[in-house]
Amino acid sequence: MSEHEGLPTDPADNHLLIHALVDGELDAATSLTLERRIADDRTLAAEHERLAALRAALGRLPKPDVSEALRVRVAALGAHDETTARPIVHRFGSFDWRAMAASILVTAVLASGATHWAMRGSTPDNFAAAIASSHRRSLLAASPVDIISSDRHTVKPWLDARVGLSPPAPDLAKDGFSLLGGRVEVIGDRPVPALVYRHREHLITLVAAPQESDTAQSPAATNLSAGGFSLVHWTDGAFSYWAISDTERAALDDFVSRFRAVVAAG
Amino acid sequence: MAVLSGKASTGRFGEVVQPHLSDALALARWLTGNAADAEDVVQEACLKAHAGIATYAGGNARAWLLTIVRNVSYTWLARNRPRNLVSVGDLADLDELAAVPELGEAGGPEAALIAKADAAALEAAIAALPHAYREVLVLRDINDLSYREISIMLSVPLGTVMSRLSRARGLLISKLGGQQ
Repeated sequence: MSEHEGLPTDPADNHLLIHALVDGELDAATSLTLERRIADDRTLAAEHERLAALRAALGRLPKPDVSEALRVRVAALGAHDETTARPIVHRFGSFDWRAMAASILVTAVLASGATHWAMRGSTPDNFAAAIASSHRRSLLAASPVDIISSDRHTVKPWLDARVGLSPPAPDLAKDGFSLLGGRVEVIGDRPVPALVYRHREHLITLVAAPQESDTAQSPAATNLSAGGFSLVHWTDGAFSYWAISDTERAALDDFVSRFRAVVAAG
Repeated sequence: MAVLSGKASTGRFGEVVQPHLSDALALARWLTGNAADAEDVVQEACLKAHAGIATYAGGNARAWLLTIVRNVSYTWLARNRPRNLVSVGDLADLDELAAVPELGEAGGPEAALIAKADAAALEAAIAALPHAYREVLVLRDINDLSYREISIMLSVPLGTVMSRLSRARGLLISKLGGQQ
């Protein structure tokens, strides 16, 4: 093979690929080939080391502190939803300052209460709404997956490199559910791995969040379907799963039971 | 979907925007050039984000907010520091240059020298980067967006993101490696 197992022969492209390797943007197969090439080439190895050192130095730069004043102002924005979508600026000047100060205080309290409410891990409805909207978005995107592969040995390390988690990703093609690939979802403030399966003309998104000690256990599959999507939630020893799809409920249940059976069998 | 209204969308705004304020400040700081302006820009961006929360359809909330921060930064720069803006012609020239980012054979600086560069030297080197390179470097190495997210945000091909990033890092490496 003249192309060295799919890697470019042009030195400039090689150089770009080393950046992609350092950034975790390469799939496992390409990473492996490139790592072998780096091991054999001292110039590439030195370049790789310099880039890794630079990434580490940049990672150590302090993040800017968010001042309490800014935090409160932004929280106050959120609390204005209940009234109208009018920007706050228009309110200045037309109000007595006392009324305004009181309203700012009230909105700040409302906002922090609402944020607290939203941040509590025990609100599966919010989580479910976030998963439903990300699934909906993936149906509109050019590609529902960021890593396209039916091979779980490619998908798992890819997810592991990005979110440090690799949920079980069995290929259920013989049961009519083929693994299309994976992507990373940000739900709340946490990146979580998502797997995408195809069943006939429908896509099934399976989000797997790590179990936390305070998460409500739900070993039996719970039906949370709403808004035209079927959504099923269950937990096992390690992960909380949400499976969502626009396919009919029976097919999704079938998928869930097959998935659970394969995972349980190891 | 007419599901999210009232309290739910309030919670949603907090959930989408609040966790990423530090990242938003970092980006605004590097695009506008100083920390005080960054706070103004981020506040304005949050107003816009709040008005447009209905258009946020899930996905990476950080990327969504940072896109707004970037747009507001440029509006702010055009209004307050028009001379700092780069024209499109400059960008094309930069991208051509970026095709050959070689650092010489064995003569490149030592990784150890870069690893121990202090924060002040590193920040000065970032500040000295041409604008288009600095933007991509900050989005990738400080805000931690993926190549694809950056390419969508800047509306440039993936290859351009990669070449600008490699050029930016090359400049940082030669600057930090050159100091004793």
